[in-house]
Amino acid sequence: MAPYPGSDADYFRDKARRDLLTLLEGVRGKKNLVVSQDLAGPVGLFVKFSLLQEYGVDRVFLLENGNVDSSQRNVVFLVHAEKIRQVRAVAEQIQRLQRNGNVEHELSIFWVPRRTLVSNSILEEAGIIGDVNIAEFPLYFAPLEQDVLSLELEDSFGDLYLHKDPACIFHSAKALMDIQQRHGYFPRIIGKGDHARRLADLLLRMRKELDAEESSGLAGVSARGLLPSASTESLIIIDREVDFGTALLTQLTYEGLIDETVGIKNNQADVDTSIVGPTAVPQAQESSKAPQQSSKQGQKRKVQLDSSDQLFSQLRDANFAIVGDILNKVARRLESDYESRHAAKTTSELREFVNKLPTYQLEHQSLRVHTNLAEEIMRTTRSDIFRKILEVQQNNAAGADATYHHDAVEELIARDVPLKTILRLLCLESCMSGGLRPRDLENFKRQIIQAYGHQHLLTFWALEKMELLQPRSSATTMLLPTAGAQTGTKTNYGYLRKNLRLVVEEVSEKDPNDVAYVYSGFAPLSIRLVQCVLQKPYILSLVRGGPVTAATPSPASASSPGWLGFEDVVKSARGATFSIVQKGDDKAIRARQTISGNNAIKTVYVFFLGGITFTEIAALRFIAAQEAPRRKIVICTTSLINGDRMMDAAIEKGNFAKLE
Amino acid sequence: MAPSNPLANWERLGDSFYRKVPIYDAIFDDDVELENYIIAGAPYGGAIALHRDESKPYRFRDAQTSKSSIDIYSCSGKHINRINWEYGTIRGLGWSDKEELLVITEDGTVRRYFGLHGDFTSFSLGNGAEDYGVRACRFWTSGFVALLSNNQLVAVSNYDEPRPRLLAPCPEGEVSSWSLIPPAYTLSRSVEVLLAVDKTVYLVDPTEAEDKVLQNGPFKHASVSPTGRFVALITAEGKVWVVSSDFQSKYSEYDPESRVTPRTVDWCGDDAVVIAWEDEVHLIGPNGVAARYYYDGTVHVVPEFDGVRLITNDTCEFLHKVVDVTEAIFRLGSTSPASVLLDSIDLLEKKSPKADENIQRIRPSLPEAVDTCVKAAGHEFDTYWQKRLLKAASFGKSVLDLYNSDEFVEMTEKLRVLKAVRDYQIGLPLSYEQYMRLTPERLIERLVNRHEYLLAIRISEYLELPADRIYVHWASQKVKVSTVDDDALCKLIVQRLEGKPGISFELIAQTAYDEGRAHLATQLLNHEPRAGKQVPLLLDMEEDEIALDKAIECGDVDLVNYVLLHLKTKLPLASFFRTINTRPMASALVETTARGQDTELLKDLFYQDDRPIDGSNVLLSEALDATDLPRKTEKLQLASRLLSDSKDPSVVLQQKLLNEASQLLKVQETLDKDLADRSEFLGLSLNETIYRLIRSGYGKRAQKIQSEFRMPEKTFWWLRLRALVAKRDWGELEEIGKNKKSPIGWEPFYNEILGAGNTKLASLFVPKCTNLPAEDKMEMWVKCGMIAKAGEEAFKAKNVNALELLQARASGPAAVEIERMINQLRPRK
Repeated sequence: MAPYPGSDADYFRDKARRDLLTLLEGVRGKKNLVVSQDLAGPVGLFVKFSLLQEYGVDRVFLLENGNVDSSQRNVVFLVHAEKIRQVRAVAEQIQRLQRNGNVEHELSIFWVPRRTLVSNSILEEAGIIGDVNIAEFPLYFAPLEQDVLSLELEDSFGDLYLHKDPACIFHSAKALMDIQQRHGYFPRIIGKGDHARRLADLLLRMRKELDAEESSGLAGVSARGLLPSASTESLIIIDREVDFGTALLTQLTYEGLIDETVGIKNNQADVDTSIVGPTAVPQAQESSKAPQQSSKQGQKRKVQLDSSDQLFSQLRDANFAIVGDILNKVARRLESDYESRHAAKTTSELREFVNKLPTYQLEHQSLRVHTNLAEEIMRTTRSDIFRKILEVQQNNAAGADATYHHDAVEELIARDVPLKTILRLLCLESCMSGGLRPRDLENFKRQIIQAYGHQHLLTFWALEKMELLQPRSSATTMLLPTAGAQTGTKTNYGYLRKNLRLVVEEVSEKDPNDVAYVYSGFAPLSIRLVQCVLQKPYILSLVRGGPVTAATPSPASASSPGWLGFEDVVKSARGATFSIVQKGDDKAIRARQTISGNNAIKTVYVFFLGGITFTEIAALRFIAAQEAPRRKIVICTTSLINGDRMMDAAIEKGNFAKLE
Repeated sequence: MAPSNPLANWERLGDSFYRKVPIYDAIFDDDVELENYIIAGAPYGGAIALHRDESKPYRFRDAQTSKSSIDIYSCSGKHINRINWEYGTIRGLGWSDKEELLVITEDGTVRRYFGLHGDFTSFSLGNGAEDYGVRACRFWTSGFVALLSNNQLVAVSNYDEPRPRLLAPCPEGEVSSWSLIPPAYTLSRSVEVLLAVDKTVYLVDPTEAEDKVLQNGPFKHASVSPTGRFVALITAEGKVWVVSSDFQSKYSEYDPESRVTPRTVDWCGDDAVVIAWEDEVHLIGPNGVAARYYYDGTVHVVPEFDGVRLITNDTCEFLHKVVDVTEAIFRLGSTSPASVLLDSIDLLEKKSPKADENIQRIRPSLPEAVDTCVKAAGHEFDTYWQKRLLKAASFGKSVLDLYNSDEFVEMTEKLRVLKAVRDYQIGLPLSYEQYMRLTPERLIERLVNRHEYLLAIRISEYLELPADRIYVHWASQKVKVSTVDDDALCKLIVQRLEGKPGISFELIAQTAYDEGRAHLATQLLNHEPRAGKQVPLLLDMEEDEIALDKAIECGDVDLVNYVLLHLKTKLPLASFFRTINTRPMASALVETTARGQDTELLKDLFYQDDRPIDGSNVLLSEALDATDLPRKTEKLQLASRLLSDSKDPSVVLQQKLLNEASQLLKVQETLDKDLADRSEFLGLSLNETIYRLIRSGYGKRAQKIQSEFRMPEKTFWWLRLRALVAKRDWGELEEIGKNKKSPIGWEPFYNEILGAGNTKLASLFVPKCTNLPAEDKMEMWVKCGMIAKAGEEAFKAKNVNALELLQARASGPAAVEIERMINQLRPRK
């Protein structure tokens, strides 16, 4: 439990890199690497292809393509062992390699994140377990940013809410145990939502099991006597299910909009070259991408979107409305910087300028990329359709009677707007007002199915199963602002909108004073819940309508832990509410407190189970900036999500046209 | 008792000294004729396995002794266990560094005995071992290589998951001797074998056999030094050569002056070679200097990494190089500070003032002297000298102002442990270096294997190491030997282990189950805190439902899936479903797994659970996957039929839509047949079908389908508008524009047509948008480039400001016109 230097992100990045390279080193000679699609991206986050090459990786294949050949004797598979389908694919490909190659292969499998019993029995069934070297690659958290750790489980949303497969909860628990082993136990676990409760229970259970295992030598001496952490304040778990509504809205920060229009995956966006120009200007990060990605270049270019791009870190969390201004400012500054060369008189001044040139050029490049991107997004946001969609969304969020917009939605259907968008609007209405009137729902169902195909009967069924799109039943009509305080099976936005002040009309996009800026006036419920724990006085004053005192929080905020003060309000959000204190040996804690002192900045881990949106990240960063003198916020999640991806989980991909 | 001379048994060998420390005596009974036995000793002072060499004749005494067996003794000659052997000729007998005994028989069967008490696992070498037979085996700490009689080499490098692998094929010829280099010391990171064939030596690794091109063979012995750097060879003339392991340089040569080939050649550390005959041992140092030892009876050599153990009937001795620190202190005439420090202890005891003088003399190097004494104490086997040296260190320490005593304290701890395990009753003659390499944890493991629980617990308490494994082993042993009834035994065990952290009751339960005491196993399992751990055993015990519950309880999806997989193959389908349908997580997982893999199972499941919609959805998916139309339609009908009983309105709608799907497919099939020569319409949605029909100019058919499927008028209008714009059928659009009313209003017409670039036609629709405010209309006109018209609009609205703005943008006649309107509106001054 020795405190390692560096942040969690660095620690996990280094650890993952080290683990993978050690494993690769264990396979002698050149090797072909077969990696599954959902791992290729995360692996790219901590290790570059050139480095893999240094460790003998000759070519990389995607498992899903099933095209690994016999060009190398050594073949290494890097695959999730918990996904049965992938395990079967591995078994098949190994059998094929053994059958048709005249080369005798040396096969290795690195199971991520652990070797499973099911994978063993599948390999056994296939009769190959004796022929492969099996190792584990314990990859859990992939660091996206210094303050964002993601498990990068792309399918987690669908698995959890559609298939009710809790694998990712277990996975999350394991990952959080990693953090606990590093820093000590979270002194307090606060959470909202049934799945969150499950996760917390798993954490408690794992702690008990670890205690039991502690001395058996398995856990190593370092894990003995794990105590509540002195450097951590708490873990806040928010179940996505509590607040589907927020994620269904169109994100209005810069990064969020890029995600909505282009899509961001593993910190990268695939942008059309006609927008950002060709890859002719390879940046350091880009040249190093795995080859299967560069192979399909031509129309698309990967744009790296992370804090290594200074301009982007300035832009990412800003509301899109002011992105143009910032870009302008930067452009002007850059110009004046360039101009400074005329001012340079002496040779030393000139040299200084020349030394700075590479930075200028880099900045220039990124400026060009972002200006083009912003323009492209602007084109979308100005369109008639986008405005209509936004209007419907905003009215829904504000709690206006949704039925007024049904005509608009119907028009959008007739205009062949992508199905995802339509479904998002309907789901949003269903979430915000506790379901659609059965007659309306039937009507929409019929229209959508006629417009997009009958296969979407399955889509509707899936959405209903996920409780995203439901008919309003008599039991749910209680979702009125007046009826509060009863633990519902649905989130009562009507009540919460009022009691947590979700709608803040007068928020300034330029100089935001509330998290509502990320949706131009709507504060994400999920974030409000986090604020209920971290910024109690602020929320109180906000609800009472008193002066907004975000900047001057009273010290009392620290004294009332957990949900204290908001129990009743929080009850009307969906699912279990809990606040658990993890106690340790009192004596040891006191001893530690005397050593480390009490006033250090403590870390709060916020875990979004089921996915987080970029806007929520932006909002959390906004809170983190306010809280900076007292705490640090680390955002953890199973994956990044937006409304489209939520819909993707439900939408049936097949259609009737498939004929041989 | 008079102290032994520390220099006893020292032997000079070139620049360094070797000493032979007697450790135990009276090892074996006299009737054990060591010359007739094959001996294998486990590394780190471990147990010794004896097996009668069947190639030698022996005296028949009685039926009992003539039975073949493997006997395991401790180094002090304590009989630990006997394994009766009736499994064929033994071709390899060796140990791993976990003190597992490996026995390889001629037919290639490998038995791995762990825990010294006859528990074993076995596997087969394969790779032709059965056909050709194993000739011999060589071992390293975690694996071995077997030489088959066809000169093939089979390597096993891991006993937990043994995977016998063939090394590269080697040349034909008589193998006169061979040896291996452990993987830790090779460049290839895989085991390499030196094979002396005919006159030369081959180096064989997994990929190739390299001829080292030597002339002096056939070599009768080959042996690789513990670090793999040197090789000792015995040439055809009987000379001993020491060469580098790449065979590039030869370091020394020694002639033992004996006609008889030595029985064994081993390394004593990395610097000296030990060659042994029946009763004679030569120790050969660098540059061919040698020391010779003679024995009365047979002597066996057991190599360690830092020396060799010499075992005869009466004694067990440890021959090793004297380490530098010891040499510095005890060498005759040594004047090293440490030596002086040791001397001053004597003087101190004699109360001589010279003690202090001495100290003052070596004052500058006193810290090193103390260090040296501490280290030397570790390497000493005699407790008298250990104490003496520590005393000297302690004395030296007391004079120093600042000295970190950690090492001193640690050394006393280590020596206590070493003394305890070196006792003849335990018989683990570890040297200090060996103890360091073995680590205390594994030492405790060895003690546990010898059932020395008390000592093991004492040591682990003394060193603050976890003791749970000791308890678990004890309890398992208890379960094995105890004859008490289950309840009492369980109570006893639980009582004894109460409050001890980390106890794995699962392991004890496993033992109980293996012993056939299922009831006891269940009872013990209830005390296991880790739910996940219980699952595999519960499955073995056929406690399926409990196993499933435990797996769900611990939340590990893998475990649940594993249990489900197991149950599915084992139970009849109906009872499998019964088992899972009360457990939502289990049925969700079954559904997930079955989806896309085993749809029949899904259908059965949904049927059993009475979930018609789910069942119908499976059929719908199948319809999507089906590749030909008749099958698609058939599946759709099946799907619809499943729903026919329900009265629920949403189900009724679902069924209706399913029927509509088949209907649409039928219509599209006709369209394909009539209008397109290939499949163009099939699979499109209704909207797409109509859109495409209109775009291709089949407006009538589109209209027919619209009414057939009761498509809303609005939707149809939108589709027609978009399709016609896409088709650029301006005439038709104009025609539509002549209608009085449009269900979608006229604004979309304007927008879409303008978007397509036809400003003229777009402008036609502006006046039709009657319900828009004037400003919007003005804008619409402007967008069409008709500023004059916009002006009129403004004029009608009497909006002077707007007119003025327009004026700025207008030119030519339009400007004049606007000017006129402004003037008209503006009150004359």
